[in-house]
Amino acid sequence: MLIDINTWIGHWPFRRLSRATASGLLRRMDRAGIDMTVVADVSAALYRNSHAANEELAAQVRRHRDRLLPVATLDPGFPGWREDLRRCAEELGMVGLRLYPQYHEYRLTDPEALELIDAASERGFVVQVPQRVEDRRTRHPWDRARDLSGDEFLQALQARPQVKWMFLNALGLPVRAFPEARYVADISRMAAVLQRSMQAFLDKGGNDKLAFGTGMVFKVPDPALLKLELLDRGKRVRDRVAFRNAANLLGLKGTGR
Amino acid sequence: MRKIDCHMHVNGAGISWGWDHNDRIIEAADALGIDELYASIPVTRGMPDFPRVRECNDAVLEAMGRYKGRLFGYCFVVPGHRESLDEIDRCLEAGMSGVKLYNQYRICDPVVFPVLEKAIEEGVPVLEHAGRPTTRDFLDQQPNISDAGHFAEAARRYPECMLIEAHIGGGGDWEWALKQLRDAPSVYLDTSGSIIDDGMVEACVRELGAGRILFGTDMTMEGGVGKVLGADLTEAQKERLFWRNFQGILDRRRRG
Repeated sequence: MLIDINTWIGHWPFRRLSRATASGLLRRMDRAGIDMTVVADVSAALYRNSHAANEELAAQVRRHRDRLLPVATLDPGFPGWREDLRRCAEELGMVGLRLYPQYHEYRLTDPEALELIDAASERGFVVQVPQRVEDRRTRHPWDRARDLSGDEFLQALQARPQVKWMFLNALGLPVRAFPEARYVADISRMAAVLQRSMQAFLDKGGNDKLAFGTGMVFKVPDPALLKLELLDRGKRVRDRVAFRNAANLLGLKGTGR
Repeated sequence: MRKIDCHMHVNGAGISWGWDHNDRIIEAADALGIDELYASIPVTRGMPDFPRVRECNDAVLEAMGRYKGRLFGYCFVVPGHRESLDEIDRCLEAGMSGVKLYNQYRICDPVVFPVLEKAIEEGVPVLEHAGRPTTRDFLDQQPNISDAGHFAEAARRYPECMLIEAHIGGGGDWEWALKQLRDAPSVYLDTSGSIIDDGMVEACVRELGAGRILFGTDMTMEGGVGKVLGADLTEAQKERLFWRNFQGILDRRRRG
C-alpha cells in the first residue's frame, strides 16, 4: 500500500506541466505503483478566486475518488471563503485544504488564517501547507513568493497542535519531539542515504511524523520511491511512512494504525 | 546498469557537506548501484589562497586512497593562482581525472584560459559550477557564477575542451540553459542537483542529444539516480547518460 500526500494537477504559469490532469496523474501512479494520492489543483495558488480551481479539481477526480483524494485551496483574505468551504466539504467531497500563505500573502498564525484553519478542522479536514511550490533557484522573476520558514511551521503547530497538518516540500523543519501535535511532513526533499535526513526526522520527531510524498506532477516520483526502498528501518516503520501515517490523518478506514 | 557519478563531493579539509563520514558515500553508492564517483572539494565562498586550495585537493587524494576503485578526483583550482597549472600536474599525476572550477571566475574569463588550455593538453574534462540565477539574492551570492551562455562562449574559443556544465538540476532556470547550449555542441551537461522536475532530463536529451548528457548527483543521491531512471528515455539512452558518455570522456585522457 502506498499513499502519496503530495501531488498536484492544474496550470502553473511559469512552466508547462505535462499531462497535469487527473488522468495524467493516474497514469503516473500506475507506473509508480502508488495506490492513492492527495491532490490539489495548483491553479488555485494564482487564481484570484481560488474556488474556481476547486470546482475544476472536483470535476476531474469525480470518477476516481477511490484513488484521488482532493484537497481544496482557499484564501482567507478573499470574501466568501466560509460558503466556499461548505461547498468543498458538502458538495465537492474534498477531504482537506492546501494553503498557500506565500502566494496569498499571510502568515499561518494570522487571525484570519487561523479562523479558516479552525473551520476546516471542524469539518475533519487535513490542512496541507507547502513550504514552497518551486525551488527558489528556478523561479520566474515574477514569482516572488517566500519559502515558509521552519519557525512559521513551528508557530502554527504551537498555535493549533490538534489540527491534522501535512507539511509538503519541506526541509529544515524543527524536528524536536512534538508528540502532542498531529502532523506529518512528506519525504520529497529528504534523503534516506548519505544525509539520512529521513532517519533524523523519525528519530527526533517520532515514527508517526513522516509520510510518503513525491511532488508529482511537478516532480518525477522515482526519487521518493527509492527513498522509501532504501529507508533502513523495519517494516513497521516503513509501512507507517508508506501509508499508515497518512491514512491516520486522513481517517481512512482499514489502512491506518 | 553501470553508473558513473560525474559530479560528487567528499568531506575533508575542514569542509563537511552534510554527512558524518565519507563511508556514507560508499554506502549510498552501494545502495543505488553507483560504481564510480568523481569528487572534489571546492571552496564555495570567497577567494581562497593557494595553500587552502592545495589542502582541499590533498583531502580528495586521501579519500581516493581510502576508497580505491570507487572514488576518483577532480583537481580544484582557482584560476589566477600562479601555482594552478602545477597543481593540476600534481593532482593528475597522483591519479585525479579532471579539473574542477567553482564560482570564483566565469568560465569565459580570460584568466581561466590557461586552465582550459592545460585541460586540452592533458585530455581531461573541466567541470565548472554553473547556474542561471533568476532571483537577485541568488545572483548577489554568486556574482561570478557561469551560466550556459558563458559556457557557450568558452566553447567557441576552445571547442576541443571537454567542458561540463554542472548540475542542470541545481543551477536555476534549466530551460534557459538548454536553449543556450543548443549551439555549443562541445559542452556537456550533468544532470545533478536537487531539482527533479518532471520532463527535465527528457528535455536535456531532446535539445542537446543523449551523447552530451552525463549522470551526476552532486550529493542528491536518490534524486540523481531517480530522475534518470524515471525519465522517458530508451534503455540505450539511459546507458549513455549513466556511464557511457562519461567513460568516453575519461578514455580521452592523454597519458605519458
